[in-house]
Amino acid sequence: MSTSTSKIASQREELAEINSASSSRGWYQWLLIGVSVLFAVVSISFVGSIIIYSIPAWAHPGTLLTGKGWQSPTGPFGGFAMIIGTFETSLIALVVAGIVGLGTSLSIVFLVPGKFRNIIATLVELLAAIPSIVYGLWGFLVLAPWMLKTFDPFVNKFPFASTIFGSPGQQFGPSLMLASIVLSVMILPTFVAISREVISAVPSEIIEASYSLGATRWQVIKDVVLPTAKIGLFGATFLALARATGETVAVALVAGGVANAQFHLLYPGTSIAAWIATQFGEAQGTEVSALMALGVLLMLINFSLSLISRSLVNRQRKVLARV
Amino acid sequence: MTMIDELVPQPENTGTRDAIRRTAHAHRARRVAISRVMMILCGIALVLTSIPLVLLLIQLIVRGSSQLNATFFTKLPQSPSLVDPNAIGGVLNSIIGTLALTIYASIMAIPVGVLTGVYLAESRSKLAATLRVIAQTMAGAPSILMGLFGFTLIVKYLQIGFTAIAGSFALAVLMLPVIAISTEISVRNVPDTLREAGLALGAKPHKVSLKVVIPSALSGIVTGCLLAVARAIGETAPVLLTIGGGYLNEWRPLNPVSALPLSIYMNAKSEWPSQRAQVWGIALVLVAFVFVLSLTARIWASRKQKRNS
Repeated sequence: MSTSTSKIASQREELAEINSASSSRGWYQWLLIGVSVLFAVVSISFVGSIIIYSIPAWAHPGTLLTGKGWQSPTGPFGGFAMIIGTFETSLIALVVAGIVGLGTSLSIVFLVPGKFRNIIATLVELLAAIPSIVYGLWGFLVLAPWMLKTFDPFVNKFPFASTIFGSPGQQFGPSLMLASIVLSVMILPTFVAISREVISAVPSEIIEASYSLGATRWQVIKDVVLPTAKIGLFGATFLALARATGETVAVALVAGGVANAQFHLLYPGTSIAAWIATQFGEAQGTEVSALMALGVLLMLINFSLSLISRSLVNRQRKVLARV
Repeated sequence: MTMIDELVPQPENTGTRDAIRRTAHAHRARRVAISRVMMILCGIALVLTSIPLVLLLIQLIVRGSSQLNATFFTKLPQSPSLVDPNAIGGVLNSIIGTLALTIYASIMAIPVGVLTGVYLAESRSKLAATLRVIAQTMAGAPSILMGLFGFTLIVKYLQIGFTAIAGSFALAVLMLPVIAISTEISVRNVPDTLREAGLALGAKPHKVSLKVVIPSALSGIVTGCLLAVARAIGETAPVLLTIGGGYLNEWRPLNPVSALPLSIYMNAKSEWPSQRAQVWGIALVLVAFVFVLSLTARIWASRKQKRNS
């Protein structure tokens, strides 16, 4: 018996070798390789063409990274305002969406009765599929007037408000604050969809074991579920952050589209992606390459975020495999 | 007060036993109370998430559906004037433009994406490993960068100009990695026994791949393609930099076209209230497209799961 199983195993390996043997590659293998190489070429020229078109702008890297004004069409082109705007809006959005979203996914998994759970999960995934322009539209036509009428006067009643949010009389509705709110609403479904999946992937055995030891629901969450799902949740956070930093049209509609190099949240501002979108139409010559250079910056930010999130998700898989 | 001393059984002393029980009860009550509070906070988070999203959906449906009529679907847009500020026409050109862009992008992206995915799943070479990292990184790249790529390569370098083909190329670059990754996953999920059975019957590897593996992975591949199309159809940033826009009824690859997301972006900033109102209708149509595609994809995937189990 054992000899026949080992024979099967060795035959299996042989078959696998035949399957990928380099000597017997037919037209089909070559087709697959050719198409894959085409995909690689497209991806490389994607990165390459943006970098090549941005080269003229890197003559003044200092201006591009820390310069405070954007004088079209001749320059100098300073990217400081856009970099601030990108980080400010996406970090605020991440903190809001992360806290609220984690609570939401925990309550979907632990509070909502089983029969509604699937419906809510489907609904969350559908909401995550809504194009970002729709979120931007809602922020622009509904939230911005509301901010102007209700939120800003309310905030400005507090004594510290003018230092943090900007002085009264400077608001036009669209602002970095509004962009942060719209971004957090926009990334919430994405974050909830991923974090819910991560949380429900925690093996039910260890959850039931801790219930049987008399742990309350919160103790199970705090001491068992969250530590097990920790890395995956960080991965979800980085994905959400990557989505927020790369968001273009929603921010272009609600941030105000002004290259203001300041930190006040109620002033209009812009982000890297939104600035590219709003300026590209009229840009000429060096301004195009300055915008391309901002694109390279955005690419660097995004690629490093997605590298981090991918390695975290892979580590989470290993953790779950061990449990 | 040390717990251990108290927990040593002292049957003579009933007072101590009661004290232990009371402490235990108090601890339990505290834990339960904390748990209640935290779960209520989680519930509040659920409500906080729902409020803006439900509001958005309601406003989209209510404001959007009031815009949908025959003119909306069958007429071209026109610029309103002071004489007739409500004469804004329909969005036929954007609907046609979006359909054309999506079809061209699918024609470009689906064959390449699916074959790349099959290669990623079936090969153990270094090329495949590298391609996988590239695909995963590209899948998360901001869509504005696809727009920049379409602009630099098609509009500028190849001198084709702002055309439907430039826009659909940008969208195809966006769809490619998504399709490749989902195809790889569904091909990987085909059980090895099926492959081995095919090979054992003497079929050539490419026959096994084409006639056994791909057909059994087909529903997963279709689902992935539908989701990629659903994503591409709503993307604004790539088309903003590439398709040119305009009010003409145009679908040909080498002409400038319009698209639904683009006209949302343009009309939202319009100074005419009638155009700003019309935007909700366009958004509703766009979201309907996306929902139909995503729901079809989900139903397809769940049907496949049922058949497998």
